[in-house]
Formats: sequence, C-alpha cells, structure tokens
Amino acid sequence: MNSSLVKTISHIVGALVLAFLLLPIFAVVPASLSDQSFVKIPPESYSFRWYEAFFADAGWVSSMLNSIKVATIACIFTVIVGTMIAVGLTRVGATTRMLLTGLLMAPIIVPAIMISIAIYYVSRQVGLYGTVLGLALGHSLLCLPFVVINVGVSLRRLDPSLLRAAAGLGASGWQVFRTVTLPAIKPGLAGGAAFAFVTSFDEVIVSIFISGYGAKTLPVKLWEQIRVEFTPVSAAGSTIILVLTVILFVAVQMLRFRAAPGKEAQV
Amino acid sequence: MVHTLRQTSGTTLTSRENWGTLFLILPALVFIASWFLIPLGQLFALSLSSEAGPLASYAELIGSSVFRRVFVNTMVLACIVTIICVVLAYPTAYLLTKLRGFWFSVALYCVLVPFWISVLVRTFSWMLLLERNGPINSFLMYSGITTSPINMLFNNFSVYLGMVHVLLPYAIFPMYSSMLRVDNRLLQASEGLGARGTTTFLRVYLPLTMPGVLAGGAFVLLLALGFYITPTLLGGLQNLTAAMLIDNFVNERLVWPLAAAASFILLGLVLGILALASKFLSLGSLVGMR
Repeated sequence: MNSSLVKTISHIVGALVLAFLLLPIFAVVPASLSDQSFVKIPPESYSFRWYEAFFADAGWVSSMLNSIKVATIACIFTVIVGTMIAVGLTRVGATTRMLLTGLLMAPIIVPAIMISIAIYYVSRQVGLYGTVLGLALGHSLLCLPFVVINVGVSLRRLDPSLLRAAAGLGASGWQVFRTVTLPAIKPGLAGGAAFAFVTSFDEVIVSIFISGYGAKTLPVKLWEQIRVEFTPVSAAGSTIILVLTVILFVAVQMLRFRAAPGKEAQV
Repeated sequence: MVHTLRQTSGTTLTSRENWGTLFLILPALVFIASWFLIPLGQLFALSLSSEAGPLASYAELIGSSVFRRVFVNTMVLACIVTIICVVLAYPTAYLLTKLRGFWFSVALYCVLVPFWISVLVRTFSWMLLLERNGPINSFLMYSGITTSPINMLFNNFSVYLGMVHVLLPYAIFPMYSSMLRVDNRLLQASEGLGARGTTTFLRVYLPLTMPGVLAGGAFVLLLALGFYITPTLLGGLQNLTAAMLIDNFVNERLVWPLAAAASFILLGLVLGILALASKFLSLGSLVGMR
C-alpha cells in the first residue's frame, strides 16, 4: 500500500475527528435563538424571546443564582485548601507525596454515581442535604484535584533557591509565600480557579442527588427539563452555560499567554 | 556561642517547618476524610447491612441474571466505546504532531475546548441534532438518502456517539504526548535501512507510541464504566448501565444495601483496570490534560 496515501487518509480522519469534537457542541446556540415555540435547527426566524423567557422565570433565575453561589464557594474553598496542600506537597518526602496525591486524585477515578449516593446518604445525616453549602462541599471534592495539579505545575517551575534566598534574608514563611511564591504561581492559580469554578458550575450527578428542592442548580433544572421535552428555553439555559464557560476558558488562555508568550498552546 | 545559637535556631526552625507543613496539608486532608473517605466507608457498611446477611447484597447482584446482564452490558459498552475512541484518536493525535502555528492552535483548541464544556450541554446538543425533526434527518431527507426520518435517538447508536464524543479527548492527549517523544532519527534509520512506510509504522512508530495508546485506552475505559448522564439521556430502555442501576436502587426501589454493593462492584472493576494499567498511567496527567 502507498504510504503517502495512508498518511493523507489518516490526516483526513484526524481533521474530521477534530470537527466532530468541536462543532456539534454549538447546536444549542441556534436552537435557543428560535422565534417559534419549538426547537428547530436552523430556526426559521431569529429572536431573543427565549432568553427573555429564561430571565422572566423565577425557577430558572434562582437555579442560575444557586449555581453561581455554589461555584463561587467551591472555587474559593478549593483554591485556598488546594494551594495550601500543593505547597505542603513540595515539603514532604516522595512516598508521602505520592500517597497524598493519590488520595487527592481519587474522587476523579471513583465513579461519580458512587460519590453522589455516598454524599447523599451522609449529607442527610448532617443536615447539609438541599443546601448551597452541602453542594459546594460535594463539588469541592471534584474541583480540588484541578487546583492542586495546576498550582503544583507552577510550583515545580519555581526556582527553590529564590525561596531560600527570601528566607535567608529574614522573610517569614507567609512573607516568602506572598512575595515570592504567589506571584510565580499566579497562572496556575488562575487556571485551577477557573477550572474549579467551571467544574462546579457544570456539575450534574452529585447535584441531582443532593440539591433537593432548596438548592436546585442550573444543570439540575436543565436535566429535569431535558428529560421531559426539548424547549428553546432549555437551549437558552444551555447556551448561557456554554458562553460563561467559553469566556472563562479564553480568559485563562490569555493569562497563560501573558505569563509565557508563545506557550499558550502547551498542554 | 554563635555556633550554638545557630544550631538551636536551626532545630527550632525545622520543627516549626514540620508544623508548618502539617498546617498546610491538614485542611485538605480533613476535608477529603470527612466528605470522601467517611461517606465511602458508610456506603461500604451499608453494602454489608442487608437483613439476609452481610454478603447477601453482593450475592443477590452476582446471582441474579438481570443484574449480571446490566454489568456485562456496561462492560461491553465501555469496551466498544474505548475501541472506537482509540481508533479515532490515533490519527487525530498524529495530525496534531504534524501541524504548526495557527492550524496547530486551532486543532488543539478543538480537543481542549470540549474538556471545559458541560457534558450535559454537549449531550443536549446531540439530542437536538439527532432528533426526528433535527438537522441531520432534514439533511438526509433533503439529499434524498432517505425518504422518512431515521430513528437516531434513544438507541445504541446515540449512546455510542455521545460517549465517544465526550471521551475522545482523554484518548487523544496521552497518544499525542507519546508521539511527541518519538525520536525522528529512529524513523529515518528505519527508512534508511530500506523499510517501507508501513513496515516503519508497524515495527517502529506503533511500538514506540503504544504506551500512549494503552494509557488513553485505559482512561477512556475506566471513565466509560461509570458513565451516567450520557447513557441516561441518549439511551433507550435497553441501554441500562451499572450507574443507572445504582440510581434506580436509590431513587425508585429504595434499596440502599443493593445500591451500595453495586457501586463497590463497579469500583472494583475500575480499580482492576487501574491496577492493570498502572504501569503506564499517571493519574496526575488525567487531571492535568485540561
């Protein structure tokens, strides 16, 4: 077989896969811009009426506000706790570091359904079922690994002699962190924080189980709607999630680009 | 005098450093213990709490042909999705290694952006695309390929499509990074020695990139086993997965011991794959892809 022909075919397959990955995601956008009361892609005429309907509906709005509250708490909590342990991990031996990292990553490996029912069961005992705080803590379990990994990558790039120099000049541990470590890990911190926010904002499975009636989030409301019928309002809700995520994604990429020009595309 | 002073301050510093390290690690540790380890421990106790005896729930799940079929179906689904992902991801990762500049960024973002977008939103998009009156059916009818709409939703096809779409990036990145590590001189040497392109690929390139293929495949497989949202929304009644069975035990049938036991069987499968794949898998890279 002609190997250049094989190469061409493999490139075409690759390009098709890339298009397959990205393009279908945006199907909710035209669906949300329909002027009619049913979903049609592409719509026959365009309007923003389903966004007006979204923001006029107390159920959708309160679910969105809940999502923002939960994601903000989860993001702040995991950034603080995650940065602390990421710094702590640079100060322990290799074995301890491996064990702790494994423990931190475990919630990503354990099936989400299992974590969900376990937290559901426990949250009812401690009175956190159906609360914003309960949801934020549940989500934090899934957000924490991203903060620790992102901050950890930045920490490894930091020259340890700078830390020793600062400490040698008499800076306290906190001063060293604030003046040397923090500026150096800013890109990792921002990336971790953004991904933590998005992870919580998008989270469905844990939320379905523990949000109850009191803390229904946007994805839970969307999930309930989609299971019954396809409406342009659901598409508008999806598009809002989509746009918010893309904005955060672009912000992180720009920050990484400014931190290391030309390396924005690094994985 | 100075010497002793320095020594004492040195020792106090190290013990203070140890306390400092503990202070940094403890909050995350307490959090994970209270919201992950203890809940899982309680779930394990529940799985042993059946009135018919401690192992009765496990025995019921393994003994019943209905439940066994759900687990077998879940594994078959996960394996097929993994094979499709690996086959599609390989040429895609290869294309990534060949692109430069603007087109490389475009291609990379095609893989990276989906990681960030909600699985629920992506699944909903597929539902809108695949439905009877959706754009794909309209196109097929308009172009005369079919005269009546094809049922593409709520069956095996839509479940495979949706899961492959979500899981493909997890296969692409490990393959891409293993391809980047291949030393081009080895390929030149192989060709210089007269090997044809196919031979070079099969005898040199493929073996060198195999760790990436296995890592990508393992990631997809262990994530696919626990999938819940996509099969629930895109599947029909015949597409019951283990995660949906667990949900059913908790919310419909209210049998916690069975739900707990089923989740530990699922976890056992996931950990089994992890153990088999541990040689070439780093959990940090699963998270670090984003």
